[in-house]
Amino acid sequence: MKNKNSFLTAMKYLGMSLLYLLIIGSTFILTSCDIMEPDKPGRLVPKTVDEDPSLPSIIVNGAKLHSEAFGSPSDPMIVVLHGGPGSDYRHLLRCKEFASQGYRVVFYDQRGSGLSQRFPKSSYNSVQIMTDEVSGVIAYYRTSPTQKVFLLGHSWGAMLATIYVNEYPTAIDGLILGEPGGFIWQDVKDYMARVFDLGILSESLNDATYIDQFFTANEDNHIILDYKYGLFGASDSNVGNEGHLTRWRAGAVINKALHCLGEKENPNWTKHLHMYETKVLFIYSERNKAYGYNYALKVSSAYPNVQLFKTNGAGHDMLSFETGWKNTYPTMLSYLNNLK
Amino acid sequence: MKTIKIILVAVALFCTADLSLAQNINWRGINSEQNHLLNLNVGLDFASNIDLGYGYKLNTNIPILLNVEFSLPFGSNLLDDFKVKLGGQAELFTVENFSFTVKAYGVFRRYENSLTRLLNFGSEFSGVLGYYKPSWYLAAEFGFDKAVTTHVKHSVLTTEDFPDVKDGWYIPTAGNFFYGVQAGYSFESVDIYSRIGKTITQDLKTTALIPYYLQLGLITKF
Repeated sequence: MKNKNSFLTAMKYLGMSLLYLLIIGSTFILTSCDIMEPDKPGRLVPKTVDEDPSLPSIIVNGAKLHSEAFGSPSDPMIVVLHGGPGSDYRHLLRCKEFASQGYRVVFYDQRGSGLSQRFPKSSYNSVQIMTDEVSGVIAYYRTSPTQKVFLLGHSWGAMLATIYVNEYPTAIDGLILGEPGGFIWQDVKDYMARVFDLGILSESLNDATYIDQFFTANEDNHIILDYKYGLFGASDSNVGNEGHLTRWRAGAVINKALHCLGEKENPNWTKHLHMYETKVLFIYSERNKAYGYNYALKVSSAYPNVQLFKTNGAGHDMLSFETGWKNTYPTMLSYLNNLK
Repeated sequence: MKTIKIILVAVALFCTADLSLAQNINWRGINSEQNHLLNLNVGLDFASNIDLGYGYKLNTNIPILLNVEFSLPFGSNLLDDFKVKLGGQAELFTVENFSFTVKAYGVFRRYENSLTRLLNFGSEFSGVLGYYKPSWYLAAEFGFDKAVTTHVKHSVLTTEDFPDVKDGWYIPTAGNFFYGVQAGYSFESVDIYSRIGKTITQDLKTTALIPYYLQLGLITKF
């Protein structure tokens, strides 16, 4: 009987407490005009092109992509492929400089990335959707069938450029690759493990994981997931950059979706690269401890004709910071001019 | 006005948790003269952490322990991230050696990196059902950790990248269920215990980057 009474008393207090919490909480929410919902566009992350019509955009394969192009439309075209997956072209805008050297420079945020339209995770059922998008962007900007097309890919963008060339070995007139993670899935995994070898007790790892108790979201809540993924970008890693990498907005869902695809399909994107006989400019950086000469040699060996170039004084994002750009641009320009 | 509202909610959360219940303890391993418990544990709980706690056992009909816990993730910046829980636990009923305990906490969390600083008020409720003997116990637990409202203040790095970013209070922000087992061994005035389990977000589909928790702890009673 005593136990029963104690139980009833405790439940009464607990019930009253929960009711009290609900009443206070509801009153607070209903009367407040200062509280914001985190998953409304434009608050924690910028709006995408489908939410903000003032942003420059193109429509490719049914996706509205954030995109800009510089230089004369009929000049040889350089399509810049950003990294991630899920990053954007903001930190690659130095490549605009090629426009003053007689090139048409095309930038776009890949679907689900940067300021481009978002799609559910289930829509990324094959990496073909990404290569079809490259084809679509080239077709959108190309002014004649004889206009030369170069791909300039950085990190994941360099992988995407290679996936494209592996699929269409005769479609591209020149290729600049900046530290692709790898062309064989196991190499990619090994490289990522070196990049994020942070240690269980490290500040960076804890910064990346601790936030999961502050914000949670379902797998297609792009705003919250992009915000969290963007904060993950603040974590230190071994890539040796000079400072903070400027981005518009991270794409968390495409990043996870393409990683899941890689895990599922264990791809090898090198099978047809022997057919690409044009010289490839393959760039690696001095300060990225996870990359280095030996790995650059290993990855680039999938191509038959390679010019290996080390950017001194720079890390993985060698095209985004001043030193790296200054030390890389002349070599890239010379390479392109030889193929122009 | 905004600040007053936030404080009201925070106080409500903390008061609510205080009235109800919290710390892994063996009720059968505490004698009537032991009212103070000091707790130290290390483990994984959304990050690698070290926790320090203090509990006070009330002399009530049903066993109630009020306690406060301070949890600190490891890393080079010691106080940029932390969590404080204030609340308690009560043993609601016993049937022979079986016992059911409820816990409730008000939670305050802080997070900071080079891009943002987050302050969060929330609550955590859980139940523990187990078999308890004076020298050992084994129990299952289930609970929910709710981040009710979070204040976001972005750094210059973020505002330079995205000038229109909105600082301020956001609601709701997060919810994580957790479930697992805990076990302990008691001798004289010391308990050693461990907890292990899994977390899943409130949509019951997605998980945190570290979807598990693990704690190894020590309690001294006096």
